[in-house]
Formats: sequence, C-alpha cells, structure tokens
Amino acid sequence: MPNSRRLSNAASRRHLLLPYVLVAPAVAVLLALSIYPLIYSITVSLQVGDAWSIGNFTRLASDNFFLTAMAHTFVFAVAALSCEFLLGLGLALLLNSQIRGRGFFRATLLVPMMLPPVVAAIVWRLLLNPNFGAINGTLKEIGINTEALTWTASPSLAMMSVIAVDVWQWTPFVFLVLLAGLQAIPQEPYEAALIDGSSRWQTFWHVTLPLLKPAILIVLLLRTMDLLRVFDQIFILTEGGPGFATETISLYIYRSAFRFFDFGYAAAMSFVLLALTNVISVVYIRLLRNESRA
Amino acid sequence: MRLTRSLTALLLLVITVGCNKDPQPARKELTIAAISGVEGEALKQAAVDYETQTGVHITVTEFPYANLFEKELIDLNARTGAYDLIMLDDPWFPTFATKQLLTELTPLLQKRGQNGPDTDFIDASIAVCRHPYQSGSLYALPYVGNSQLFFYRKDLFEKHSLKAPATWEDVLTAAKTIQEKESGSGMYGYVMRAAQGNAAVADFMPIFWAFGGEMFDASGKPTVNTPEGIAALEFMVQMGKYSPPGYASFNADEVGAHLLQGTAAMSINWPAWIGKFDDPSKSKVIGKIEFTTLPGARKPGQAEIGNWLIAIPRTSRNAETAMDFLVWATTAEQMRRSALRGNPPTRKSLFRDPELVAKYPAYPAQMRSLETSRPRPRTPQWNEIENAFGIFLSKANSGALTPAEAMNQANAELEKIVQRGQ
Amino acid sequence: MSRALKYLLLFLSLGVALAPVYWMVTISLKSEVDHFASPPPWFSFTPTLEHYYEAFVTRSFAQYLVTSAIVAVISTLCALILGTLAAYALARFRLPYELDRKLSLWILSTRMFPAIVTAVPLFLMMRDLRLLDTKASLIIVYTAFNLPFVVWMMRGFFDEVPRDLEEAALVDGDSRLGALVRVVLPLVAPGLAATAVFCLIVSWNEFLFALVLTQTDASMTLPVGIAGRVTQYEIKWGVMSAAGAVAIVPILVFAMAMQKYLVRGLSLGAVKG
Repeated sequence: MPNSRRLSNAASRRHLLLPYVLVAPAVAVLLALSIYPLIYSITVSLQVGDAWSIGNFTRLASDNFFLTAMAHTFVFAVAALSCEFLLGLGLALLLNSQIRGRGFFRATLLVPMMLPPVVAAIVWRLLLNPNFGAINGTLKEIGINTEALTWTASPSLAMMSVIAVDVWQWTPFVFLVLLAGLQAIPQEPYEAALIDGSSRWQTFWHVTLPLLKPAILIVLLLRTMDLLRVFDQIFILTEGGPGFATETISLYIYRSAFRFFDFGYAAAMSFVLLALTNVISVVYIRLLRNESRA
Repeated sequence: MRLTRSLTALLLLVITVGCNKDPQPARKELTIAAISGVEGEALKQAAVDYETQTGVHITVTEFPYANLFEKELIDLNARTGAYDLIMLDDPWFPTFATKQLLTELTPLLQKRGQNGPDTDFIDASIAVCRHPYQSGSLYALPYVGNSQLFFYRKDLFEKHSLKAPATWEDVLTAAKTIQEKESGSGMYGYVMRAAQGNAAVADFMPIFWAFGGEMFDASGKPTVNTPEGIAALEFMVQMGKYSPPGYASFNADEVGAHLLQGTAAMSINWPAWIGKFDDPSKSKVIGKIEFTTLPGARKPGQAEIGNWLIAIPRTSRNAETAMDFLVWATTAEQMRRSALRGNPPTRKSLFRDPELVAKYPAYPAQMRSLETSRPRPRTPQWNEIENAFGIFLSKANSGALTPAEAMNQANAELEKIVQRGQ
Repeated sequence: MSRALKYLLLFLSLGVALAPVYWMVTISLKSEVDHFASPPPWFSFTPTLEHYYEAFVTRSFAQYLVTSAIVAVISTLCALILGTLAAYALARFRLPYELDRKLSLWILSTRMFPAIVTAVPLFLMMRDLRLLDTKASLIIVYTAFNLPFVVWMMRGFFDEVPRDLEEAALVDGDSRLGALVRVVLPLVAPGLAATAVFCLIVSWNEFLFALVLTQTDASMTLPVGIAGRVTQYEIKWGVMSAAGAVAIVPILVFAMAMQKYLVRGLSLGAVKG
C-alpha cells in the first residue's frame, strides 16, 4: 500500500467530511420522499373518521376481501416467479452456449420488457378477448373449441391469464440477469469438471448453479418485490375481476384510497404489505450476504 | 472544488428546466375535467366555439370513466383547485353533494336574471342535479340526456315472426328462438355487460326493478335478497345462457362490438351507440337495428337514467367565468350542436326538434325513456355499494355462486357498508 | 442438446416474444372494422394511418411524448449524478459505526416500498408544494424511484475497480472527485450505461405515480395518455396501439444501441454479489 500522505488539519477535515457530502444529496432526496409518507400513513391509519382508533387494523382480520386479495397476491407472485425463473434460466443457458446470432437473439428477446406495462396489458387484453381476440381466433382456425376458453372472463382462467402476461413481459429481465451471471463465470471450474469426467447434468448442478447463486438471488429478490406490488397490468387486464378473482392487494389498496376515499384503511393495509415485503427482503439479503462471504 | 460547483450548477439548471409551468397569461382560463368519449368530445368542441366567441381559453382534460371519478374526488377533497368545471355521471352526484364539494348554482343563476333552471329541461334530468334528490338545492346542470334503450335486430325478428319485446319473458323467448334457429352463424340471442362494477350493476338494475326488486327499503336497509331480487338475478343468469361466452367480463366495448359485428340480437345500451350502427366503417348491421323502451315484468319497464351533469367545484378560482360557460353550453342552441355530435340533449324542445328527429329517429323513444326513467339509489356511498354489488353479480354470472348465495352475500356486504357510513 | 433443437427453441421463444408486439402494430394500422373481425387477419388487411393521425395530430399524444421524454431524461440524469456520488462514497470509504453498510441497506430498502403506499401522501405533499400537475413533481419522484437502483448498481461496479489507479492519481495531486471523474468513471462507463438504460425504461414506462400526480394534459405522460383511451363505451384500440407502437421506439433504439453494454455492465457489477 502506498504510504499515506500527511495532511494538514483543514485538508484532513475535508477528507473526513467528503463521504458524507457525497452521500448527502441522495439521502436527502430519499429521506424527504419517504419520511412524510411514513408519518402521514401512520397518522391516517390510526384514525377512523375523526377519532383515534385501531379500528382500521382490526377490520383487516375480518375483511374477506382483504384476506382474499392477499392470497391472490401470493399465488400470483409464486406462480409467476417460478415460471419466469425456469424459462429465464433455460433461455440464458441456451444463449450461453455456442450458437450463431447470439447478439440478435439477445436483443430481440428483450423486447417484451421494453414495453410500458400498460401497453403490454392492453395488447394482451385485445389478444385474449374470447370472441374477437387473435388467440381464440387462431385456435378456432386450427379446430380447437374455444367456448370455455374465456381467459380473463373465466374465474378459473383469469388468474392464469394474468400470470401469463407477467411471465411474457418479465422473463426477458430474468434471462438478462442470469445470462450476465453465466457469462461472468470463469472457465476454470468447467475445465476442472471436464477433467474430472462429470456429466453435463453434474456439471450444471455442482458447478454452474452454485456459481450462479448471487445472480439468482438478486433476480429473485428484484422480481419478488415487483410481483408483490403488481398493479399496472391487472388494473388494465381485468381490474381485479371477474368477481374479485384476480384482485391483488395493490388493487384493493388503490380502490380503498381513491374510490372509496378510505385513506385510513388503505394506509393500514399498506403497512401490512410493507411489513411482509420487509420480512421477505431481509431473508433474501441474508442469503445474499452469506453467498458473498462464501 | 470546481467540479462540485459545476455539478451543482448543472443540477440546478436541470431542475429549473423541469419545473416548467407556463406563466399565467392575462386572459381568463378555465379547466374542465371531462369523460373520454363522445360526451367529452362534444364538450371539447363547445369549448373551442366558446373561445372563438369570448376569448376565454378552456382546457379540457379527458379521463376514462373510473379515473374521472377518482381524479375529481381527490382534487375536490384535497382542494387543489385544478378544475373549474367537472363532468359527473349522475350516480356520483350524491357523493360530491353530500361532502359539500360543489357550488350551489341557484344564486349564480339569479345573478344572471333567472330564478332557477329553464323549464325546458326534462324534469328527470334536473331532479338528479338537486341535493336532496328532486327537492333540494341545485348543484349541477344536465348536459347529456342518456337513459337506457333496448336494442334489437328487427330483421331477425321479422324473419322469425317475433313481435317487438314488451316484457322480459318476450326477450327470453326471442333470444332462445333466434339462437336456436340461427345456430349455424355464431349468433347469440342476447348480449349484456356483466363485468364487475358499474357495467354489471347498470345492466342489471332495469331487470331488478322490473321484477319488483328494491335495493333499499324505506329506512335505508339493504333488501337485495328478497325473493324478487333473487328471481331477477336468476333471470339474468338464464339470459346469460344465450349470451356470448365470457359475457361475465363484458364491458360496453364488447357489447358494442357484438352488436356491430352482427353476432348478437338484443341488448340494453345507451343511445350514444346509435350513431355507430349506421357507420359503414364500423358496422356490419347498417339499418337492421331497432330501439324501444325497456321491457317490463311484474312492474312496467323503467330505464335507468344515466345523465352526464356538469358542476362547479367549490374550490374553483373562476366560478363566475365557469358559470358563464355552463349557462352558455346548456342553452338550447349549444345543446343542439352537441346533439348533432351524438349526445342526447336534456331539453324537451330539442327532442321534438324536427331536424334532430329526422337525423335521430329514436328521439321519441329516447324522450319517453328519459321521462319515465329512474335513477340508481342516491346514496353518497354509491361507489362502494356499486363495487360490492357488482362483484357478487359477476360471481353469479360466472357460476362461482348461485343467484341466491350471491344475493345473500351481497346483502350482508351492503349492510356492512351502510353501517360504516353511519 | 442438438443444435437444431436449440435453434428451434430460440425461434419459438422469439415468436412468442414478438408476436404480440407485431399484433399491436397491425392493430394500429387496421381500420376499426378489422379490429374485431373473425378470423383475425394476421397479414391480410388494408393499412390505414388514421389512428396515427388521430393520436398525434388530433389528440395530444405528441405532447405526452415530449413530456415523457423530458421527465425520463432529466430524472435519469439526476438519479445518475446523485446516485453515483453516493455509491462512490459508500464503496470507497469506511464510515464509523458501520454507517456505510447501514446506509446502503437503507437506500436499498426504499426500493422495496410498494408504490401504492406512498401514492396518496406524495399527492398531498406535492399539492402543498404547489407542484401538482407539473413535470417537476414527476421528475422528483422518479429520481427518488431510481436512486436506490443506481446506488446499488454503481456501488457494485466501483467495488470491482481496484483502488491503485485512484491512489496513483491522488499521489499525482488530483482531488478525490477529480480522480473519480478522470480515472474511475471511464472504467465503469459500461455499467453506467446499463444503469442509465434501466432508469430511462423505468421512468418512461411508469404509470401509477403519473396517474396520481397529473391532472391535465400539461403534465401527462405517455402511459397515462394511452390508458386514457378507455372511454365509457369503447376502447380506442387503434389510437392506443398507435401510441403504444411509438412509445416503444425510443426505448428499443436506445436499448439496442446499449445492448452490448447491458450484459457486460451487469456482469461486471452487482451480479457478482
């Protein structure tokens, strides 16, 4: 290490202050935009009408709509995440191997995630229309009976449709991050495995996956956060229907705040969502930290 | 620290550019929040005409149905004063009036030499502009005189020797007949909106009322699960069998599309659609669609009124200018222009106007429908109620619940809502 | 796995990825009768530019486009500047009481906030600051939105760069910031580019806050304008698709140009953990 310079008092003070000065603006912006909302939300959630009470929180336990919305959110998140991960990993592995036109595929496969989620939802809403949409239209052309395939109108298929749209849009993101992760893995472990005579599957399981863990955890973390608070697509695709079948927690909060004008209840639900999100992210971050220490 | 200084300067410059709100011009300005669609379009045109005449610059911002309500509610409640005039669908009116968010119009009318609204306005339309309903003070003026009509394919009715439907039973018989006889061509007897929320409720209420159902009793208690109410929902689900698959999520555009493509024989709809049926770039059924008033059952058929009103928020900073515009836009001459653009008027004289009747032969039927129409319950909690009720209607139509279960659960939920409101 | 199978799978994926976008473009070019025609005309239809005309000339989509561009670019710039400075500080300095690690975590945690939680309070805050319905409110919010991501990404990149180069510059008499700009930044340029692209995409596509904080055409962005074509009676698919098609062009162009850097940038930094 080069020898540390001897600094004068003023210079040394400036030197000590520098990191704080550099971080201050960013912290100030974030603080300003999170402190006020936090205080406001706490205040309003503890009021019912004009009186102080915890009524908003106790109402949560008996509100079927709230509990159902939470269940829907989880089902949505888990299903979408699994599909996106498996497909994204598959695509990343495909593109990491020796094929021509890599750049082309990589570029074009990213297109879905470039669309504004609102636009993607609108396009899919049109495609999935049971009578006039291209999906059922094309299926009919090849002879499949589409009477029961009412997609966003059917309570059983609606959730699946909504998940499918999210998978279509965000698998490219998972694919991108995992591809980057794969390409960051050095050659030596592979060569060693080859010398050891392991099979393709063994190499994948014992060499690739472990080295890919940081990327996997990061992408899972980012996607989970986004999936738990999904709003745009469902708002446009089904508005939570049919009959509440696709209502997620963000939608219910939005409705309570902006249509029923019940800010207190919306705030109470937001805290529950926030707490949940924090717990999950702490778990992921712990796993990540263990990985980077290893 | 040259670098920090230049960075700070850059940041400040960038922020200043971003904060670009045009400096207020000296002329008078108004902002209107309007509904996306033919009504908003007509108001936009009126605004342009007004500016040419008076020099007052009017900005019209359009929002989709659900968003319009939210934007207006939050703007008026938060007193941001962004809008000087707002368009209200009449069921929203009680929410705004009860919270005292609107300017009372009678004093403003008196300043302009009128004692109250013109008697040329249709009573049913003015009634929904008063709070309390019918008898109270005036807080809005009616701009678009929508009330439901019943549409049917007269060519198919003639083909199968059916007479125009007068009762809902007629409708069911006709739907069955047409669908069976036309089964080869992908034809459906009926099409309706059953998407949860405003769509399902708006299409259901006429059936509900005709069967003798009432949402609330005299004391304000919810009564949707009476035998009549359940019978009405059972009927709706039965009609669903002759509707295109997926109708449980249909909104106005799907219903319109089916009618325009010629794949549905009957429907309840709003008069604004009439113009489209004869537009060759949109319709495959030119000249084949007939309209009549709504069928009855136990009780005579009553259309649901769905007028668009215009009100002035209390927080508007240009109330007088806004009132000038409002009075101008609702005069017979201006409303006639709006009618020519596809909006049903709210004045008797215009419904009888020969030129308009020649262009819109359905006007006599529309006026009859409007004069005998009834509004949805005038409660400030309508939004929550419509939302909850709509969910259960949708569940019954998608088969998730039986009609009896749906109505009972709906009633329980409505009771919860009403209790919270007390 | 055989080469042929690989290519088959890739082309299949490509088809699935691009078909809906293609469909949207065709909708923007078809007249309304064709929108709902059965069977759906994937290829055979007479194109018309009426929807593009309606969107950009008759209606205000050109204005929405400009607003979206201004808001996205400025908020990305702000986030990049503030975030990179903060990331550099957190990467290079050890603060007392493990403050640097705690700050990193706190900054990251703000990204976990579900947007809906802050929508109403931010609306009220902007109202009190008289910033409602201005581009400035969106710029501020989007900057805050993108900051955590920038800090996190750039910190990863800075961690990758060995300190020797800066130390050499410092010994030569450069200031800390000078060293940052002249020595380190060029090295993390790919990462910076990748981060910039992500921020631009996020700001360009954002919906919820734009919905809540804008009230008139003066500040509406493209996503809000597009969603607003859902009228009470019909959905103006043609206009929406035309606007949607145009909305993705800038992002596509920019992302394709930066595409090389995207993967390199990601693999240089945070992915390594």
